[in-house]
Amino acid sequence: MADETAAPAAPPQDSRSEAMAFVIGVAGWLVPGLGHALLKMWGRATACFLTVGLLVILGAGMRGNVFTSTGNDAFDSLGYLADLGTGTFYLLARSLETKGADVSHARGDYGTRFLATAGVLNLLAALHAYEAARGRKA
Amino acid sequence: MNPEMGFKISHLQSMLLFAVLISIAFGFLSRRRPMERVKYILWSLFLFLLIGVGIGWAMYPFSR
Repeated sequence: MADETAAPAAPPQDSRSEAMAFVIGVAGWLVPGLGHALLKMWGRATACFLTVGLLVILGAGMRGNVFTSTGNDAFDSLGYLADLGTGTFYLLARSLETKGADVSHARGDYGTRFLATAGVLNLLAALHAYEAARGRKA
Repeated sequence: MNPEMGFKISHLQSMLLFAVLISIAFGFLSRRRPMERVKYILWSLFLFLLIGVGIGWAMYPFSR
């Protein structure tokens, strides 16, 4: 007997647009602003790219901690997840910080926050692009 | 920028930069019309600075 409480299967058009929205969300995560650019939201794309990019450059320039996957505790792991939120800009941060982190000064601590904020902000922007692609009000 | 030391900016400059960048991102993400964005950015920036300076003063008695 068929389960009448189950939702009807989504039509192919819906599943394709859902897949497209997912691709846009992932693109927005990998390259800040790309998700919005694919949706032709140029202002938002530019703002995301520049703000996330500047936060990463400033954070690395201030010798903030760019966390790696070999963290010792939960805070390191959470920091790594936040840093990964910047997508490919994580590699940029790693390449900019040739001298390593220096959190013995306040600016290094600020830099760590800048980098983590860049990641979380980019995740928020990617989620926004995903929702916009799904047709939610954005 | 000194490659040995990195960017040398003060606490206030760091807070200002952070507040400006986040306010711009929030303004663009949450509002559509340019005028609404400008208003949101300015309001958000004001609140960031007000709360930041407020917390700074609230911690002042315990700083020494």
